Amino acid sequence: MGSFGRFLLKRSLQGVVVILGVISVLFVLRYVTPGSPVDFIAPLDASDATRRRIAESLGLNQPLYVQYGDYIVSLLQGEMGYSYRSRTAVAPRVFAKLPATLELAVAATVVAVILSIPLGVISATRRHTGPDYAATVFSFLGISTPNFWLGVMLVILFAVQFGAFPTSGRPVGLLDALGHLVVIAGPERGWALPLNVGSFVAAMQNWLLHVTLPAITLGTYFTALITRLTRSGMLDELGRGYVQAARAKGLPTTLVRYRHALRNTLIPVITVVGLQLGTLIGGAVITEAVFDWPGLGSLIIDAINNRDWPLIQGSLVVIGAGFVVVNVVVDALYVRLNPRVLE
Amino acid sequence: MIRRLLDAVTGRLSPRTVQNLRSEFDTSPLTKVGVGILVVVLVTAVFAPLLAPWNPEAQNLDRSQQPPLGFTRAENQTTQETVDGEVQLIQETVQVNATVAHPLGTDGLGRDMLSRVVYGARTSLVVGVLGTLLAMLVGVPVGLVAGYYKGRVDDALMRVADVSLAFPSLVLAIALVGLFGQAAVEVPDPLVTTGLAAAIRGVTSLPGGLAYPTGMPATFTLPGTVILVVGIVNWVWFARVARGEALGVRDEEYVKAARSLGGPDRFIIRRHVFPNSITPVLVLATIQIAAIVLLESALSFLGFSGTTLSWGFDIAQGRQYQTTSWWIAAMPGLAIVLTVIGINLVGDWLRDALDPGIEGEGGGV
Repeated sequence: MGSFGRFLLKRSLQGVVVILGVISVLFVLRYVTPGSPVDFIAPLDASDATRRRIAESLGLNQPLYVQYGDYIVSLLQGEMGYSYRSRTAVAPRVFAKLPATLELAVAATVVAVILSIPLGVISATRRHTGPDYAATVFSFLGISTPNFWLGVMLVILFAVQFGAFPTSGRPVGLLDALGHLVVIAGPERGWALPLNVGSFVAAMQNWLLHVTLPAITLGTYFTALITRLTRSGMLDELGRGYVQAARAKGLPTTLVRYRHALRNTLIPVITVVGLQLGTLIGGAVITEAVFDWPGLGSLIIDAINNRDWPLIQGSLVVIGAGFVVVNVVVDALYVRLNPRVLE
Repeated sequence: MIRRLLDAVTGRLSPRTVQNLRSEFDTSPLTKVGVGILVVVLVTAVFAPLLAPWNPEAQNLDRSQQPPLGFTRAENQTTQETVDGEVQLIQETVQVNATVAHPLGTDGLGRDMLSRVVYGARTSLVVGVLGTLLAMLVGVPVGLVAGYYKGRVDDALMRVADVSLAFPSLVLAIALVGLFGQAAVEVPDPLVTTGLAAAIRGVTSLPGGLAYPTGMPATFTLPGTVILVVGIVNWVWFARVARGEALGVRDEEYVKAARSLGGPDRFIIRRHVFPNSITPVLVLATIQIAAIVLLESALSFLGFSGTTLSWGFDIAQGRQYQTTSWWIAAMPGLAIVLTVIGINLVGDWLRDALDPGIEGEGGGV
């Protein structure tokens, strides 16, 4: 096994341990929070016998380690129990909300990357000029602004005053919009591809209109953060010997900047972005609240307000595990791009 | 004035540190801006009962949704009038004008926005400072022990830290507040209970010849659960920084010397490792105050705070009036941005002057 393979194995095992920790913490949390689940399920006038039956059906009469074991086994089978409120299975509900949150997070990341890297590069290559100061002020403001307030202000300005965007909601999902392209060409309808481009464009437009303000709301902090990182990283790299050597060889400035300096700048940027993904999910929760975006965040807030523990637990397991997996991937990517750290 | 205040605070630091702080302060105009903002916010928070023009909770429905100075608001009014014995409904648009008595306008219940922004500073700073202290109190010892002992202790504690990091802080915070409830403590406000506020306010008057209202809230709501939760959620950052420092310090000659002289570990950690790890912890603390101020405002915005005098809470209120009265959400948000900018500028100053070698910024809610 190569050194990269060993690294990947070790890092993945660590990830598994952390996910197990996440699951265990949530299990413990359930026992230290006040109130028994029976209270939420049983009617107010339930007899003791009924309450005991409910406790039994939830497995609460078992010793803790049995409950813990059952919980782990059911998680491995992809089950997360049943909601106390609606009595529906938790797992399908959590996964049904996942696409909305993911597309919001991806849209915000796309906005952030498209804006921030050029901004950071311009800022670094034209140091102490108007654009540099503008980018610096922007990034400082972006880091200091609470995103939910930014969202409310964007709604007041662009949705209420100018009417350019809807104030809230997500009538069409990205996958549904893309589906207009796929479903048409199926075996039942024949493969003749009468591509319904019109309905696809309409659905995409609708999605874009609804996602724009939330994506800006969620993406601004990251745009600001990555701009700062790119600027300072680029300044470091441009001062290094290899850049001067490349220039002295007569390579064009743009090639040296983008092919050499920017590449090396992006390595630490990727790590920080990976580490900040948790913040992105946290930000998504509150952005969803501002825009009534029907994702995991809205689900968690509803679940907490209803004290619906299985639903809270299921959502948090998915978020925690997802974060750990992404971090392992980011670490692997970092090592791939920068093999020196293995030595 | 600010310079003298700083000298008083920095009197206990080493001469080299003080000199670095001073030269950085003197050469950077942004630092002066940051310290200035922070002093203003601090004074506002402490002396809120003296500075707020009105009681922040006092409602006045006749004056609801008044715009801030320089703006007007158009309102559709329907009035009944009896013309020739018949009742007629008359619809007209009236302009609601700003008044000097409410320079930042009023909210939907006619409460003075300026007074609410002034009182909101208290909630933000109290939660920010106490939450950060709690996070430090938990995180720093854990980090120092992990870094000092290395090996298995370190591995175990750092895995715990990883688990803690796997939850986005806002998500974990709402889950904890939601599950443990929103306990809040009513703390008596000494400026009001001693009669000081009433006495001072009695002899001053508002612009426009209005008398200064004297009945200010006698208690201040301390959102207890929120402080605990933001502390618990953020301990891990302190643990990581303290660990990194301890890892470096443990191999220094003076620590080795102390160990070879038979000094017990507890003593060495407290006497040698801790004081030599404190600089980056202090810089991190500044950044964390900003992060916690943002976290508190997010929790209040979502309705998980236990107090109704908070910038985040007012922004949520303002959403209900977003079609008519933008200032209700705008003013408290501007206060948050200004405060966080102030804290971040001070954080940059400390980082540049003390060079602790940590990256990061307060923010990300």
